[in-house]
Amino acid sequence: MLQHKHQDLFNEPACAKNQAKDEKTRKKGCGGKPLTPGNAAGGCAFDGAKIVLQPITDAAHLVHGPIACEGNSWDSRHALSSGPMLYRTGFTTDVGEMDVIYGGEKRLFKAIKEIIARYDPPAVFVYQTCVTAMIGDDIETVCKVAAERFGKPVIPVNAPGFVGKKNFGTKLAGEALLNHVIGTEEPEITTPADINLIGEYNVSGDLWMVTPLLKKLGIRLLTSITGDARYHDVTKAHRARVNMMVCSQALINVARKMEERWGIPYFEGSFYGVKDTSLSLRTIAKMLVERGAEPDLIARTEALIAEEEARVARELAPILPELKGKRVLLYTGGVKSWSMISALHYAGMVVIGSSTRKATKEDKARAAELMGEEGETMDNLPQRDMYRMLKNREADIMLSGGRTQFVALKAKTPWLDSNQERHNAYCGYDGTISLLKEIHKELTNPVFDLVRTPAPWEV
Amino acid sequence: MPQVADKIKDHARLFNEPEYQELFERKKAFECGASDEVVAKQSDYINSWEYREKNLARQALTVNPAKACQPLGAMFASVGFEKTLAFNHGSQGCTAYFRSHLARHFKEPCAAVSTSMTEDAAVFGGLNNLIDGLQNAYTVYKPKVIAVSTTCIAEVIGDDLTAFIQNARTKEAIPQDFPVVKANTPSFVGSHINGYDALIKGVFTCFWEGKERGEVTPRVNIIPGFDGYAVGNNRELKRIFAEFGIDAAIISDVSDQFDTPTDGKYRMFDGGTTYQQVEEAINASATISMQKYCTEKTLDFVKEKGQPVHAFHYPIGIKGTDDLLMTLSEITGKPIPESLEMERGRLVDAMADSSNWLHGKTYSIFGDPDFVYGMAQFIMELGGEPVHLLATNGGKEWEAEMKALLATSPYGAKGQVWPGKDLWAMRSLLATEPCDFLIGSSYGKYLEKDLGIPLIRLTFPIFDRHHHHRFPTWGYQGGLRVLVTILDKILDELDRETMKTGISFDLVR
Ligand code: SF4
Ligand code: SF4
Repeated sequence: MLQHKHQDLFNEPACAKNQAKDEKTRKKGCGGKPLTPGNAAGGCAFDGAKIVLQPITDAAHLVHGPIACEGNSWDSRHALSSGPMLYRTGFTTDVGEMDVIYGGEKRLFKAIKEIIARYDPPAVFVYQTCVTAMIGDDIETVCKVAAERFGKPVIPVNAPGFVGKKNFGTKLAGEALLNHVIGTEEPEITTPADINLIGEYNVSGDLWMVTPLLKKLGIRLLTSITGDARYHDVTKAHRARVNMMVCSQALINVARKMEERWGIPYFEGSFYGVKDTSLSLRTIAKMLVERGAEPDLIARTEALIAEEEARVARELAPILPELKGKRVLLYTGGVKSWSMISALHYAGMVVIGSSTRKATKEDKARAAELMGEEGETMDNLPQRDMYRMLKNREADIMLSGGRTQFVALKAKTPWLDSNQERHNAYCGYDGTISLLKEIHKELTNPVFDLVRTPAPWEV
Repeated sequence: MPQVADKIKDHARLFNEPEYQELFERKKAFECGASDEVVAKQSDYINSWEYREKNLARQALTVNPAKACQPLGAMFASVGFEKTLAFNHGSQGCTAYFRSHLARHFKEPCAAVSTSMTEDAAVFGGLNNLIDGLQNAYTVYKPKVIAVSTTCIAEVIGDDLTAFIQNARTKEAIPQDFPVVKANTPSFVGSHINGYDALIKGVFTCFWEGKERGEVTPRVNIIPGFDGYAVGNNRELKRIFAEFGIDAAIISDVSDQFDTPTDGKYRMFDGGTTYQQVEEAINASATISMQKYCTEKTLDFVKEKGQPVHAFHYPIGIKGTDDLLMTLSEITGKPIPESLEMERGRLVDAMADSSNWLHGKTYSIFGDPDFVYGMAQFIMELGGEPVHLLATNGGKEWEAEMKALLATSPYGAKGQVWPGKDLWAMRSLLATEPCDFLIGSSYGKYLEKDLGIPLIRLTFPIFDRHHHHRFPTWGYQGGLRVLVTILDKILDELDRETMKTGISFDLVR
């Protein structure tokens, strides 16, 4: 049943990765590859769906399943909100043994009712998980009945963990938005300079590094899908003039289908690094003007870029000489596998390798092109090899996620969190400044002298 | 009605009830207190540079000194010896104060007696009080040794301890050969660290009397010094010796005295250092002091006997512990045990794991001179920057040593050293040049309240938190504990800050 519904998604024409596969493997879909038992596994589809939708900050996010699923994905990412905090409340039906025997639909309905009675959110997202999908709970029907009864949008997110990996779950979340949310309300006003960002979750406030720039240019961010988003804004996203897709893979279906349905052109860009931020702003301006915005937007954008770039250069001047030539091992994935490189190149740093996990063919090509001779793209770098590289001082610092942090430290190498658990925003001009300052801080931390100097009795 | 019989509110919350708030308001009007503006203006003034200059120039008045008095230190030192009764010659009130001071910190009863001098004694001398006191103490408590130290009043009237004790023997208040240790501990000079020093020296003087150094035995004497973490630290020292396979004697081991088990037995005195150890100590290969400024006179005395001595500054952190272990290894000729190497690696690992939270934080530190030194050294190892370093009982020599320490690291650049200053001076310093965290004793909580600089409790006395003294701060293991204490504060603060908006109030830090 579910499998059949998902077939369409497996055939995502705009997904380069998918298109590169032959027909048979394509049918299995991007999330379809079974996970290897005994391997360190990434998140499940449910996890991916929740990651995408949870940043809608004023909505209630209700997980229909046993308590552990919610525990897995609750709040470990720092998608920030400038206002409502409801999204951070971990609502779950916490199904027990009896529900498993008799079915959990009634319980789910009651939970929705209680949430609406107590919190009155603009909408409730209901997430399916493995156990409740297995026992055949029909969350779509429950949501439909609840929505009618309470007069509130109740959105089913049918992405139980077993249908695939995290990446596939993000697409299913996109589908939920397309089918139940986007286009369900009309904005009061529209301007010729309205845009959406797609695939920007405001991790550690990344989005807020960019919004002031847009504001200065008079570009209105209709909504960000879904960083720091409000439910009612997302419903009106279909009236934007241009979509910018920030994460190249996760929500490609949303960008493409919005173009199909409402004729909104999209482009893929990045806000990491000075060069890319400028390029993205330029592209937005150009596309908006093409679609009827005031032509002077282009000149104003150029002026802002010049001003901002000069400011970055000024602020970083004291530390740039110390960063220059330092060697970095980048172990992230997706867009960041290439977009971070340009931020590092800005400081004259050498990227000796970048992992291209969860990255598209284009991502890989871009990463390879950017690094040129000096670095290589790699898919998965086993921790053993990572340790060896760092131990041999091939890199001066590693940028990665929390899971590999300790490999770096055991190899006595400075490390900086570049993934979702980090605490600093690295987007835009200000984000680049903060990224490079953090790298500088790590590189000069006295503890690494201590770590590397042998105990006195060893010399 | 805020207070009802079936649910009595305690005072911590009671006075926040609207009834009481109203009452306070009315009281203010009734008392014709200064207006809020005047109060605000005054508090701005005492936070200003102008006031700071005046405050630092203050000579006669001391406000909230970060030190205790000499006999307290002596008493602390004396209870570390086997069946030894701490005996204060002076007025009763002092002794009560020492006992409660120590009890409040260690949450343990602390036995000590006093000669209970009165006005008469103050005029005519305390001889009779001392004789009676010794006799009673000897018969009632049956100690092995009595350790006499003086309080201000006895020093002022100039009681001659040596003569008085001899008198007591002649009068058969105590047997001829009953050992009495004595220490002159006038509190109008020095502080508890000098009292500690005086008593340890008194113990050596008493038990080494007439002896010269004989054949050297492969043993090390360790004098811990006055230390609020004594229970954990002494035990940690013993563990380190065991790992090394070193024969060592802790001179004044208070670890059991201040950590008696609740097992139905009453232990009046449970000092861990035997007098046999004290007697044999003269022939040890060396004497090591863990706190230089706590043992200056003692070490001089030991040196005079021809024994090598070494002194450290409260060994916290990597370098502090490295130096200690290297010295132990040199003296004994034993290699550093592998288990300790592993511990070092683990501490370094922990420091690196958390380094990004620690790097660049600024701290002010107050406490005893050695503590401030050791702590500042560790802070710099963590990438932290010491700002104000204050020891009310620190002198010129300490100041010079501190400055030399700060000069060893770029992280010491902001460090300012304040010997002899009190906590009211610290208040001005922090108001004008604030820092991220304050490290010191519980007394720092008033500074925390006034200035909003979070306090990390890491030295004596800690009255308002429990059981810290049970964990070591010395050695690599102790370093871990100190590290966690600091980190917890940093992260708690971050949570408190981010709680306000909820932004960045994160599960994983
Ligand atoms: S795989 Fe299934 S059971 Fe596991 S966390 Fe994901 S949804 Fe929950
Ligand atoms: S300072 Fe002197 S008088 Fe005061 S408590 Fe100490 S010993 Fe007693």
